[in-house]
Amino acid sequence: MYTKSLGCILLLISLTVLSGCWSRRELNDLAIVMALGVDLDKDGYAVSAQVMNPGQAGNLTGGSNGSLPVVTYKATGRTIPEALQRMLSTTPRDLYLAHVRVLVFGEAYARQGVGDAIDFLTRSHELRTDFFLLVAKHTEAIKILDVITPFEQIPANSLYSSILVSHKNWAGTGKVTLQQFIVELERGGSNPIMSGVQLQGDTSEQGSLKNVQSVIPKSLIKQAGIAVFKKDKLIGWLGEAPSKTVNYVLNEVDTTEGSIDSPDGGVAGFIITDAKSRIRISINEKNEPEFVIQLKAEANLTTLHSRLDLSRTASIKELEQRIEEKFDNLMAANIRIVQEKFDSDIFGLGEELHRQYPKLWRSYRKHWDESFQSVKVSVKSDVAIRRIGSVVQPQQKEMEQK
Amino acid sequence: MTEKQHPEKRQDDLPGTQALFQEEMRRRLGSSTDIIYRFLALGPFSAVIIFIEGMADPQALIEALHRDLSLFSEIDGAEPARGLKLLKERTITLGKVGEVHTLEQIEAEILSGNTVLYIEKAAGALSVGTENLKQRAVEDATSQSVVRGPREGFTESLRENTALVRRRIQNPQLRIEERKLGTATCTAVSVMYMEDRVDMTALEELRRRLNAAKLDSVLESNYIEEMIQDKRYSPFPTVYNTERPDVTASALLEGRIAILVDGTPFVLVVPALLVQFFQSSEDYYQRSDFASLVRMLRYLCFLLALLTPSFYIAITTFHQEMIPTSLLISLIGQREGIPFPAFLEAFIMEVTFEILREAGIRLPKSIGQSVSIVGTLVIGQAAVDAGLVSAAMVIVVAITAIANFALPAFNVGISVRILRFVLMGIAASFGLYGMVIALIILALHLCSLESLGVPYMGSFAPLRRGAQKDTFVRLSQRMKKRYFNRS
Repeated sequence: MYTKSLGCILLLISLTVLSGCWSRRELNDLAIVMALGVDLDKDGYAVSAQVMNPGQAGNLTGGSNGSLPVVTYKATGRTIPEALQRMLSTTPRDLYLAHVRVLVFGEAYARQGVGDAIDFLTRSHELRTDFFLLVAKHTEAIKILDVITPFEQIPANSLYSSILVSHKNWAGTGKVTLQQFIVELERGGSNPIMSGVQLQGDTSEQGSLKNVQSVIPKSLIKQAGIAVFKKDKLIGWLGEAPSKTVNYVLNEVDTTEGSIDSPDGGVAGFIITDAKSRIRISINEKNEPEFVIQLKAEANLTTLHSRLDLSRTASIKELEQRIEEKFDNLMAANIRIVQEKFDSDIFGLGEELHRQYPKLWRSYRKHWDESFQSVKVSVKSDVAIRRIGSVVQPQQKEMEQK
Repeated sequence: MTEKQHPEKRQDDLPGTQALFQEEMRRRLGSSTDIIYRFLALGPFSAVIIFIEGMADPQALIEALHRDLSLFSEIDGAEPARGLKLLKERTITLGKVGEVHTLEQIEAEILSGNTVLYIEKAAGALSVGTENLKQRAVEDATSQSVVRGPREGFTESLRENTALVRRRIQNPQLRIEERKLGTATCTAVSVMYMEDRVDMTALEELRRRLNAAKLDSVLESNYIEEMIQDKRYSPFPTVYNTERPDVTASALLEGRIAILVDGTPFVLVVPALLVQFFQSSEDYYQRSDFASLVRMLRYLCFLLALLTPSFYIAITTFHQEMIPTSLLISLIGQREGIPFPAFLEAFIMEVTFEILREAGIRLPKSIGQSVSIVGTLVIGQAAVDAGLVSAAMVIVVAITAIANFALPAFNVGISVRILRFVLMGIAASFGLYGMVIALIILALHLCSLESLGVPYMGSFAPLRRGAQKDTFVRLSQRMKKRYFNRS
């Protein structure tokens, strides 16, 4: 009995030791890929990977040999995984993809359709689904991964946080993760979007430290509005105002800044602090759906370049009304632009129709993209100004009184 | 037998004359120099007293005998038995006097520090309680010190210890059973309980185990702990020990049983539940809200001390995707150039710490502390500078060690130390998956344990809602009703 149990224990111990620690990897055996870029190549794909250089990026005391905190490798292959494996002939360590923060598609590749890349990204168990997808506007992905950025040692991190910050506080840019993209792609009544990035400034020394060794960096990565997709193919770009409209409709606006003309001439600046939109659908006599985007927003007054008397509630009401008018007109116009220029329902109107009128949707399902171009969409906004800041009267009025 | 050599028949089997008695005792006890034989002429009788120098102080006895010498003339030689009775009832002013009738009894009485008075022609001898062992004064309980609360700790003297408890529970229901354990050492062991509160089945079980215990020697209470504990191969203690009379008293009031062993200040308390090892007597001497927070902190420390190194090993070698990216960047930077795998790195540091800790106990008190602190700091810092160990690992080991010291019971700290190494090995082989399996096994094991028939996980498994008033939190005295699981 005693020897039997002892034998069992010995076997169990040898099990832990001899099984060889399946899938065990030490931290310093890994090359952490922070960003991936996918471009077209003549025989398939050109994949670039921005890999962290831990000796530089993480270690404050370690031996600095003057190398940069990241290294961008490039390899080609018929498929993306093949290109990544081929890359191992140049990298000293195993590529580790779980910490990819952004994935950049070159514009040429995005126009051709990103479906095959998405297949790899979702099939691989190592990749998460919460990194951001970007399109390199008018350029190749590798160019975006070849920029040294200020603040963040790792450019991919810089890109990642700039997406978050600009989306949260400016709302003129997109923030699309792989997960969101797949959901939009696979739904019948909507088409996906992606956010765009582009390079700005002198790109001749973008990949060396000299780029950030001046007070005004020579080259910067800039968030560049929203890329419109039809299915998995890029079909065009939206400017700042249409991008904002898209975000309003998709309920993605957190805060953003805007301005209107003040009733007495001059300019009033406001900040949107909270915005919620709902899509209402009504069926007209021809049995066609009509869409109303209902937008409820809260705004704070940030600046007033006029002599408006803000102590009167009527002035605040007037300002609110003007903001509403601006929303109604501008957003409707922007939606019109998307409808006319692209036959791609990036607002998810079809999906909404599907949910609210499933029977009616059946007749639209097959040719929704064409119908989308002609449906009537209007905007009805309701804006409330909550705060006007620390002073009541505008400075111009104050000066007048003295 | 010796009595056959003597013409006069005695009522007991003691030798008939003083000289023969002395001779017999010398034969039995050997000629140790600390055993004192003192001859006394008491009126018509010759008597001898025997005691061990240092353990007994028969001064009062001798004085009493000489003072009442006149008494002995009354004693009629024809009635030797009356002589002893008179002595016992009228002369000897000491509290504890008893008649002994066999040589074995006499031997035991002498060895336990009493003085034996033998009178020729009397039936039997007298054993007088003159036990006067030099002992330590009652001092601070160093192993379980508190900020607020009684300072007293038990001493090595059994009698003193029972008195310390009795002073706290002045209740007629408090019972003490005494027995001698250890065939070689004959150590006095007391079992204390409250007659009206104790769980009788547990008490019966304890008596059974104590009777069944075959012990050669009992030098510390652990000798007994090992004999009465439920599962010998569990890393967890199923017997609680304490150096504090107030903790013992509170356990007795909860219906537990205390086992006091002569020669050690550590008292055993059974049945012991796991929650007990996370309680400190101070929990009841401080505000209940504060005590509750501190108690939750201890549970956290238990988990930290048990899991930190293994968790670190698991996530850095198997689950890198779980580490937040910015933390990963910093961890990778630190691990650059470290030649060992994370497990070995952790193992080296943990063993180093255990060495320092063990050495710290052995070193003289004055330098012990400084050596262990300096040792840890210097070795930790130097190892990081030399690139042998990453700085994060030093933090992991340090937090583990400190959390370990925050556990109020030393013996549960030992369990944690053992299991920590096991878990580190499992984490290095199977990652988080293995750790979870190991923790499930651990939970099953804890639930299977019993302490004297009472489930070890008490109040949690089986769950008792009423008992939660004094487990993770301690509710105030008004809200609390003491819990004891009568199985």
